[in-house]
Amino acid sequence: MTRVTKRPFFLWRHLNKLRWVTLSLVFAILIILPLLSVYQNYVAAYAYDLLSPSERVLYDTAEWFTSPFTDDPAKDLDLVKGTTWSGTLFGLKLSDPLAVVSQIAAGLTVYWPFVLTALIPVVMTMLFGRFFCGWVCPATFLYELNTNLAAWVRRAGLRIGARRFDKRFKYLVLGLGIVISAVSGTVIIAAIYPPAIIGREIYYAIALGGFGAGTAFFVLTVLFDLLVARRGFCRYLCPGGALYALLGRYRPFRIQRIVETCNDCAKCNAICEFGLDPMRDDFGQECNNCSACIAVCPTDALTFAVKLRDVPYQGPGYLGHARRKPAQVAKTQPEAA
Amino acid sequence: MTMAKTMPSLPLTLILGLWFAALSWPAHAHHVLGRPSYGLNEDSNTPPSIQLETQAGVYFLNYMAFPAFPRPEEPGRIHLYVSRIDNGEPVQNKVTFKVRENSWFSSAVEVLGVQDPDDNVFRQGFLFHDTGDYIVTAQFEADGQAYSVDFPLRIGEPWPLGPVTLAIGAAVIGLVGLSLLQRKRLLRAKIRAARQDAGR
Repeated sequence: MTRVTKRPFFLWRHLNKLRWVTLSLVFAILIILPLLSVYQNYVAAYAYDLLSPSERVLYDTAEWFTSPFTDDPAKDLDLVKGTTWSGTLFGLKLSDPLAVVSQIAAGLTVYWPFVLTALIPVVMTMLFGRFFCGWVCPATFLYELNTNLAAWVRRAGLRIGARRFDKRFKYLVLGLGIVISAVSGTVIIAAIYPPAIIGREIYYAIALGGFGAGTAFFVLTVLFDLLVARRGFCRYLCPGGALYALLGRYRPFRIQRIVETCNDCAKCNAICEFGLDPMRDDFGQECNNCSACIAVCPTDALTFAVKLRDVPYQGPGYLGHARRKPAQVAKTQPEAA
Repeated sequence: MTMAKTMPSLPLTLILGLWFAALSWPAHAHHVLGRPSYGLNEDSNTPPSIQLETQAGVYFLNYMAFPAFPRPEEPGRIHLYVSRIDNGEPVQNKVTFKVRENSWFSSAVEVLGVQDPDDNVFRQGFLFHDTGDYIVTAQFEADGQAYSVDFPLRIGEPWPLGPVTLAIGAAVIGLVGLSLLQRKRLLRAKIRAARQDAGR
């Protein structure tokens, strides 16, 4: 057997933990920002004495949290605003590319200052693929928790959804959404796009005291994932995922299998949330570089590589059964007399 | 020595008195610094807690509740303005105020009072004994038609979290806890399930 010399960089295995940290952080920020917005309103209104006891707890906590960073909370806290759909981060305005595309379609006009706010996300997607889906999207945070719930439900003996549909259907959803936006003059996609829904609904719940219809829609997508198809919305219906997949088709940073150390255990296939086939070198434009397959691989047979396309199928892993079988058969057969 | 010699003379007294008066600290304007406090009883002129505007037919209604945050066992007042949308003419008929609990489990209705307009304003006092969400109904007749309009009224401090928020929050926290504490078992379950699905 050939001595294996290729080893992936040791930190790649731990990227999945970092990914969970970023997902949790994004979700936490979506909750903290509306709370700070309410606090800003209290400060601007000089309304401390009018607050109820629970509102004073919010005021005092927010004051303690922000006082090391701000002199004038009513103004300074405007530096971080918005959601993953569109927002500002210390003066840097960032928008989801889907927001820009939808807005252009709805208004039938290009407003370049808004287009430029999607530049960084577009460039990063062209480099890293659907990284937003794996590393930033607040819906991913909830959908992956839901996948864990599904594993428990199945372990308990109950049926969960495992159907597969055509992944190209989400491109149809994207196209239809753009057309409907153009015809109706409204950004209709925001009503069915989970990251936009979650950011909006969390804000409604905290700052305005209630949930909207988007919450009901999102709960339906979660039930769809649980009862019909694993990560069904992301795989088959998400218009944002479709756009990111198109932009990231020729991403230079992609995951690649090291066939010499692969033992064909298929744990990478099992763990992949998007139903890809890493064991057969099939990552494609759907891969979001989440690195879960790298983290789960017992033989470090997956790594990041700089290539514009996936390598063609390299055959069974060198450490797998398909490679070992002929040698084992030869050993067990008795020698000819 | 006589008393007349020991006591200071009148001019000196005047001079000393004027001198002390000149030395006294000036009276600075006294500002209430920091956060202001408003008087919040039902007779205060501070902003109301609720101000709602709505339409009923051809009439425009403006509803306000005083004080800012009504509490149980504390008196409060509702002000209602009703006027025609087209010419602004205020309604002069009586308005009946009723109240019920804003709850799926309660349908009891209590009449708060029947009010005549006072300077074009219908004023209704209230005193609630229990904390909760209530619906105040204003009923009046005008131009031969009966109108009934509902307004919300919160007595006492509201829950900081609603039932939907609590449910979703509990679900998310439960799932996060499950994912953290049982991650290895979950991983094995996912791999086993994938192999079963693949028929291995």
